[in-house]
Amino acid sequence: MENDFSKPQRESAFGIIIMGAYTTFQIIKGTFFIFVIAFLKMQINDIIYVLLGAFAIILFSFVLAYLRYLKFTFFLNKEKQEFVVNKGIFNRDQVIIQLDKIQQVNINQNILQKIIGVYGLKIDTAGAHGEEVSIKAIDETAAYNLKAHLLNRDTAIDMQPEMEHENHLAEEAPFLRISGFTLFKVGLTSNYGQSLALLAAFFYTVIYEGRQLLDAFKINRDEIQSTVTGMLTIVTVFILIACLLIVLLIINLVRTFYKYFELEISQHKDALLLSSGLIAKKNTLISPNKVQITKYSQNYFQKKMHMLNMSLRQAHFGQSKKGHEMQGNTLEIPGCNPTERDELLKMILDEAPLKGKTFIPDWRFLNLPIFFKLILPVSVFLILAFNIPEVKPFIGIAIAYFAIGIMMIYISYRRHRISVNQDFIIKTSGIWDVSNEIVQPNKIQAITTFQYPWHKGVDVGHLSLHTAAGQIHFKYGNYTEIKKLVNYWLYQVESGNKDWM
Amino acid sequence: MSSDTSFTNETVDLDHLPKYEEILLKQPHPDYWKIICINLSVFFGLMGIGLGSILFFVDEVRPNAIWIVPLYFTVVIIFFLLFRLSFKKRGYAVRTHDVIYKSGIIAESTTIVPLNRIQHIELNEGIFSRIYKLGSLQVFTAGGQSGHIHISGIAIEEAKSIRDLLLKKLDLLENPATETEA
Repeated sequence: MENDFSKPQRESAFGIIIMGAYTTFQIIKGTFFIFVIAFLKMQINDIIYVLLGAFAIILFSFVLAYLRYLKFTFFLNKEKQEFVVNKGIFNRDQVIIQLDKIQQVNINQNILQKIIGVYGLKIDTAGAHGEEVSIKAIDETAAYNLKAHLLNRDTAIDMQPEMEHENHLAEEAPFLRISGFTLFKVGLTSNYGQSLALLAAFFYTVIYEGRQLLDAFKINRDEIQSTVTGMLTIVTVFILIACLLIVLLIINLVRTFYKYFELEISQHKDALLLSSGLIAKKNTLISPNKVQITKYSQNYFQKKMHMLNMSLRQAHFGQSKKGHEMQGNTLEIPGCNPTERDELLKMILDEAPLKGKTFIPDWRFLNLPIFFKLILPVSVFLILAFNIPEVKPFIGIAIAYFAIGIMMIYISYRRHRISVNQDFIIKTSGIWDVSNEIVQPNKIQAITTFQYPWHKGVDVGHLSLHTAAGQIHFKYGNYTEIKKLVNYWLYQVESGNKDWM
Repeated sequence: MSSDTSFTNETVDLDHLPKYEEILLKQPHPDYWKIICINLSVFFGLMGIGLGSILFFVDEVRPNAIWIVPLYFTVVIIFFLLFRLSFKKRGYAVRTHDVIYKSGIIAESTTIVPLNRIQHIELNEGIFSRIYKLGSLQVFTAGGQSGHIHISGIAIEEAKSIRDLLLKKLDLLENPATETEA
């Protein structure tokens, strides 16, 4: 067994199966509903063609997978400190990754990989989107060896025996472990938004595909619509909403358990190892100094239960779709208690951040949101209501909306603050989920300050700190103080030679 | 230094720190205004031709010409005024340790990029810019789209010298590492 990866090598031969299955799965996923329609609409004797077609697809994917396997090689160039991957069936692609640009290395195992007994390895870089490398099949020792090689580039030069890394990885006791009960609490109290989006996406596909099916069967759509509307009485609506809420909670719980089951964090030399997952176990190794923004958040329920969610944001580059890329480079740690949080913060930031001098926004912070989110829509609504009698009974809702809106905006104003000391910038914000984002001044990439001309007289202005993992805004602050802060941060960034990753 | 004496301790120094807001900024080259005018004229010219042909050929729209034509001209005038304003407000400066760029049509925003955070630099010359020997300089950081500076309308010679200056400083900063622009 080669341990130092210095010669070009292929992945495990099982990779053919993994990749073949993967391609087949992708194709079938894309054409699933066509298949269903075809099956239902066709005569019995035509089904043989469909099966033949399916067989052809599978064969094709496996041939592709075999070719890909043949052409996919990787090796570690020790002198240049680079990881080189050759791939491409028809065109030759070579991906070269400098070791110090590697952000994190993930070792995953999906169900198929678990059955076969191999691991998948993914390398995230700070490079543009799509440059990341994914090795689909590699056995366990090789995976961990490679990971150690990729991340401990100093030891790669030292040529330490690899077995030591092995033991090191195995023996290290995790300092943070999230129990099943904590996860249960997390599932009950957080991430509703994401689950809701998931549910909405699910319903959307069901309705969309269902409509296509109906079209295919030429079922009368009006008939269904009339039966559905006939079923909608007030009682059923309430039952339906209750069901939806319960489903939402269950989905939330399942998602939380699926993603964070047996979440453990342990420390290795100068990196943190996060592992979690119910069916597919995910291991992530990151170096703390590559974390750009450390964030912890807590809502009212979680405060009562003494737990909070943390997320570590790493650099993301390229103009990729928002959200998607961010998610990939954000590590979530749900359900820590305050002591665990402090420990983790100490590990990432070297010391527990203290809040320094706190700056609060001017009351003018309230003006724009109150005008655009409350006064404008409510007055439009009122104008409508006084002209259209049908809308009139709903005026009460508008008043409630206004009251709740004012309260929420006021809370967000009270929570919006930034506190600065020598080593940290802590931005607090949020209405329901109160979040604290912690940035070290040396992670700042650029600073923008801006001011509207009508705020010149009252000395109010805005600040954005650009980091490689997103921006931190502080709005409606005292402009003189902001300018002072900017000068101070510039001095810190420019005089110190602390790198940002 | 212990962190509990952190911020107030530094206040004395703070007042002696160089102040970015007091730097005298350089305005874009006066010829750049001509380029803005050319660009705007091309844009509005095409739009005008489009509108004109619609007004001419589509009978149903023609009665609306009474308000469409004045509206068009007001928009044109407003745009020229806004761009003139923003042109006046632009300014840039290169300090020993950072690049400053100020801009904004209504809000005045100032972006500062420390030199040791620059990822790479781009110098562009457009067709019209070339006629007037102007160029635009872009400074990229790892801060993504929002954290980058785009300075237009610098005389090409000056832009090149700024670029070389920045590159030289980048090289100096990264002297030990063999890292070039990413």
